[in-house]
Formats: sequence, C-alpha cells, structure tokens
Amino acid sequence: MNIEQRQRRLRLPIPDSRLPIAVLAAALSIALLSASGIAFGHSPRELLSILISGSVGSTFALQGTLLKSIPLLLTGLSVAIAFRAGVWNIGGEGQFLAGALGAFLAARYGMIAALAASLIAGAIWASIASAMRLWRNAPEVLTTILLNFIAIHLLGYAVNGPLQEASGKYPQSDAVPMTSMLPMLGDLHAGIILAVIAAIAAWFLLYRTSEGLRLRASGFNRSAAKWAGVNVDAQLVRAMAISGAMAGLAGGIELLGVTHRLFERFAAGYGYAGIAVALLAQLHPLGTLASAFFFGALTTGAGELQRTAGISSTVATFGQAIVILVMIVFTRSARSAGVSPAGVAASRRHGRAEER
Amino acid sequence: MKRIAALAVLPLFLLACPKHEPVSTTATTTTTTTAAPMKVGLLTTGSINDGGWNAIAYEGLQQIHKQLGAEISHQETKTPAEFEEGFRSYGAKGFDLAFGHGFEFQDAALKAGKEYPKTVFITTSGSSVAPNVSPMVFQLEQATYLLGVIAARESKTGKAGLVGGINLPSIASTFLAFKAGAQSVNPKFEVKEIYTGNFDDVGAAKLATLSLINAGCDFIFHQANEAGRGVFQACQERKVRCFGSNKNQNDMAPDVIVASAVLDVPAAILHMARLVHDHQFKPQVYWLGMHDDIVSLIWNDKLKTTLSPQTVAEVSRIEADIRSGKFEVPRGKF
Repeated sequence: MNIEQRQRRLRLPIPDSRLPIAVLAAALSIALLSASGIAFGHSPRELLSILISGSVGSTFALQGTLLKSIPLLLTGLSVAIAFRAGVWNIGGEGQFLAGALGAFLAARYGMIAALAASLIAGAIWASIASAMRLWRNAPEVLTTILLNFIAIHLLGYAVNGPLQEASGKYPQSDAVPMTSMLPMLGDLHAGIILAVIAAIAAWFLLYRTSEGLRLRASGFNRSAAKWAGVNVDAQLVRAMAISGAMAGLAGGIELLGVTHRLFERFAAGYGYAGIAVALLAQLHPLGTLASAFFFGALTTGAGELQRTAGISSTVATFGQAIVILVMIVFTRSARSAGVSPAGVAASRRHGRAEER
Repeated sequence: MKRIAALAVLPLFLLACPKHEPVSTTATTTTTTTAAPMKVGLLTTGSINDGGWNAIAYEGLQQIHKQLGAEISHQETKTPAEFEEGFRSYGAKGFDLAFGHGFEFQDAALKAGKEYPKTVFITTSGSSVAPNVSPMVFQLEQATYLLGVIAARESKTGKAGLVGGINLPSIASTFLAFKAGAQSVNPKFEVKEIYTGNFDDVGAAKLATLSLINAGCDFIFHQANEAGRGVFQACQERKVRCFGSNKNQNDMAPDVIVASAVLDVPAAILHMARLVHDHQFKPQVYWLGMHDDIVSLIWNDKLKTTLSPQTVAEVSRIEADIRSGKFEVPRGKF
C-alpha cells in the first residue's frame, strides 16, 4: 500500500527501545521515590517495601490497585488514540465527566444503555473541540482543556440543582438504580473486563484495520497522509470522537462500578493522569495495560505510605511527574527534529506495527 | 538500552526482597487486644495543610495521639475508591476508630462498616447510621441563634445583615438560626442576606457588607471563611458592630466584633475518640454542640461591657437552656 511504503521510507534509524525506556522511566521514578524517603526520615528500603506491599503485596492491595487501574486504563487509551492521530486531546477530564453524566441520565434504562450513553456523551464532548477546530481552526490543546472546566462546572451545577439527591441534603446525586450497576467479581467490578476489551479493541483498530493505519498516518505526517489520499480532517474528527468515547466510558464505568452517584469532584484527575499513562505506554494500547497497572499501583502504594509512614500523598504525583519527564527526555533525545512528542512516539511505533 | 533498564531494576528488587517479609507478618498479627494502644485513622478529601477544614481535623487527630496515647494514621483520599480502600485498610489492620472528614464518606463508611464490625467509622456530618457507623453533626446554629438575639436587642435600626460565601445547606442553616434568634426578640426585626458566591474574595465580601450597612443594617454576621476579612474591614471603616464565625475572631477587629460563634472541630474529633476509647460509643447521629463544649459563644470582653446588662443576662439564660437541652435551636433540614 502506498502509505505503508512511505512510512517504511520515513522510518527512523532508531533501535526499537520502547520497552527499556518505559521500564527505565518506571524504575527511575520508584528509585527516586524511595530515595525521597530519606527526606521524611525513612530508609529508602523501608519506603520501597511499604510501597510494594501496599500496592501488590496482598490480595487486598492488589484489588485496590486493579480498581484504580480501570479508569486509568481507559483515559490512557483515550490519550493514546488521540495523540496517535496527532490531536492534542487533553480534555480527558471533561470527557470523563460528560460520560458519567450521560451514564447517570441513562441509568434508569439499564446498564447497557448507561454504558452506551457514556460512550456517546464522551464522544460528543470531545467533538465540540473538533467542531471548533473545523470551524475556526481553534487548537484542541486549548479548547479541550477549557471544555474540562465547563464540564466541571456543569456537573457542579447538576448536583446542586436538577440532579441533587431527593433529600436535598448534600451536593450529590442519588445512587443509580441497582439494575444499572456493574456486576461485581469479588471486590472488583466487571468494568475491568470492559477496560481490557477496550484496550484490545483499540489495538486492533490501530494496527489491524485500514482505519487505524489512516489514523496513525494522519498523526505521523499530515501532509504525507493527505497526499496519500487520506481525508485528514475527517480522520482527526473520528479519532477525537473515539478518544472522547474512551474517556467517557471511563467516567461511566466509574459511576456504575464504584461511586454509584455523582458529586462535585467526580473526575479527581483521572483525565490528566491518562496522559502519564499513555506516555509511559508510549502510546501503545497494549502497553497501556501495563502502565495503567503501574500508576494504579503507585497511587495505591502511596496511600499505604501515607497511612503507615505518614508520608504525604504527593509522592504519587511526584512519581508521575518523574515518569513523564523521563519519557519526554528520552523520546526527545532519541530524535532531534521532533514535530511533537506524539509524532515522535508515533513515528517510533510504526516500525513495530509493520513487523506483525 | 535493555541492559541499562535491567541494571536499573535490579537494585530495586535487591532492596525490596529482604524487607518484604517482616511487613507482611506485621499485617497479619495485628488483631485488636485491649492492652494495645488505641488506633485511630483519619481520611480527608484534601491536604491537611489547607489551613482550614482539613487542617483542623488533623489537629484533632494529633490531640487524640497526645491525650489518649493513640496510634494515629492519616490519608488524603480523592475518590470514593480511595475512601473505601482507606476505610477498609484501617478495618483490616484492626483500627478501633476511623474518621471520614466530610459527608462524602458516608457510603464508604457503610460498606467498610459491614465488613469490619470491630472498627467504628465516624463521618463528619451526614445521616447514615449502622451498628458501627455514625455521623457527627455540628450545631453551630446554637451560637448563631444567640448572635441573632444580641443583634436584635442592641440594634437601633432594627436591621441586621448576613454575608455568606456559597449558599450551602450548612451555611444557610446558621443564618436561619440567626434570624430565628433575632425574631424571637422582635418579630419585625429585618435580616438581609447576601451571598458573594465564594469563600475567598475579600473585596466582594467587603462590598456586600458596605451595601448592607448602606441599607441600614447596624449588625453584621458573616459565614464567608477567608473572605470574612473583607466584612471586618468594612465594619471597621463604618464603625458598625459585627460577629466572628467558626473560630474566635474577636481580635481580628477588636473594636467592632462583639462576639464569635465558635466551632471547635479538634475537640469534636477528640470527643468521639474518647467515647470509643471508653466503650461509650452508641450508633446514632451525634449532635455536637454547646452541651459537649464543641460549640460556644465567645464574647469580646472589651465590647461586652458596652452592651446593656439585660442583653448579656438574656443571652446567658438562653445559653444555659440550650446547654441543658431545655431549648432546641431551629436549624435547616440537612
């Protein structure tokens, strides 16, 4: 195929070093975190052992980690798909909320309807940014982040007004009907299966369909894609909608599986954390499985650190920041003339994808 | 590159492995015995360095450590998944008591409560009660009712003004009690309210206060947290008397603040811990107020003498009735 040949020619002479970079970033962040224990008067070893036992050391901890990985996996996929297509969707937070709102409104018609509504609501919320891009060439990096604030305030209004619980006591909604809640698998909810299916589906879409090839081509080099006959604008609109749908689904699953009701700080940063997840996964849908688990473990372990060693929860945020920085530094230094980190990561990916 | 990564990971495992076992054994041996010190955990939705809501809760936790010799633990939790995990982790480790500082923690407390019946779960405000789950609800209204009485007795214009931050049920309720107190003295007493829409815009609070003063109010009460500073500024400029709220704010503007309605959150947290410590805990909504010395009216002694002795006497009489439970202050339904 035409595009494929172009890509082959454009492939950069970089060894396939995705996994080592990711492992290095993760290891470095854990090492630095442990070392930071000295500042709090704990030996790095003690800190590390709490971090590990508190995140994967027991069934209890492991469940906590998995529970937190579910929304991270989906928002991570959302970012990975958008960045692959070269669109800066950093509106995961807003799409997450839109999805939760959609799911809440449709919850009375059952679980399937609620999940479908969350997908659609997330896609619509993301498509507002696409519409503004097509209409006035407004950059997504701005519009999506501004849409986050609108969604946050919309939710705030909803739980203080029309969707407030019937007793009218607190700024939160009533719980969704039992029939729409996700079934439980022990202490975990069935959302974990949906999230894993979504990851596999995203991988299939990106690497096993012509749609995915066009999407990646658009992200890799817009002009080249256009020359090869791809309708880039339409492609980006679709990528954005799929990306928004993933984040929306994350919100819907969180509502139906964990919180069961809406309240003001519903998103709690899952949308933004998705960026870190996607970058650590180097924008690969299957890599997202591992990186979402890593960040889920980091947050859960950080909670245990706080409970047993009194170390501030900011360590998890600190760890996240280190991972992102390491990923950016390594992907940057690997290629001098970068279009964007997304483009760089995308270009790196093509080598693997075509090897089958 | 692969080699570098492998090298980076290796020391982590070397560090992790030897210390791993002792940690898991301590986790399994922690079963509650009466001789062991009490263990108390606290979950907050925000940072304990916020100088406000969460900071005072942590202060309470530290007092539990100091006064009851309890082992304490705290976690900042942001999502319901974390609320549950925090509570369940305290339950699993045999904690005697776990606080969730906010109404948001009710669902998680009920769930964890069922799973860990030996741990008591207390939420700050809320209404969910189970055999080992109870909310504590603060009755600041008892003090704001008294402020209303003072205003109505001492006002010359027959009008008082209230400046609120956001119109939350808890805040509207304190205003409702203020109004009830004022109108118990004078049914025609007029109380005007303004909500500025936030808790930190000092300028907006000041403007709101000035407009109330211009409308003839000669007593001002606020529930604007940080923005309350603006209320005091306006009152100082115009020499209008006012009241402090939540904390003893009397020395923030000693020439105009007559009294403060004070809510002692650390004392409330300590109070609940003491109940659990002494095996006095019963599942119920704990209404904490003047009776438990959690809520109080603190006079500014400098200005107290400028009031008519009858007013002061009436206030202390009602205060005694509230304390003894003879009189119940009206409050908003929430």
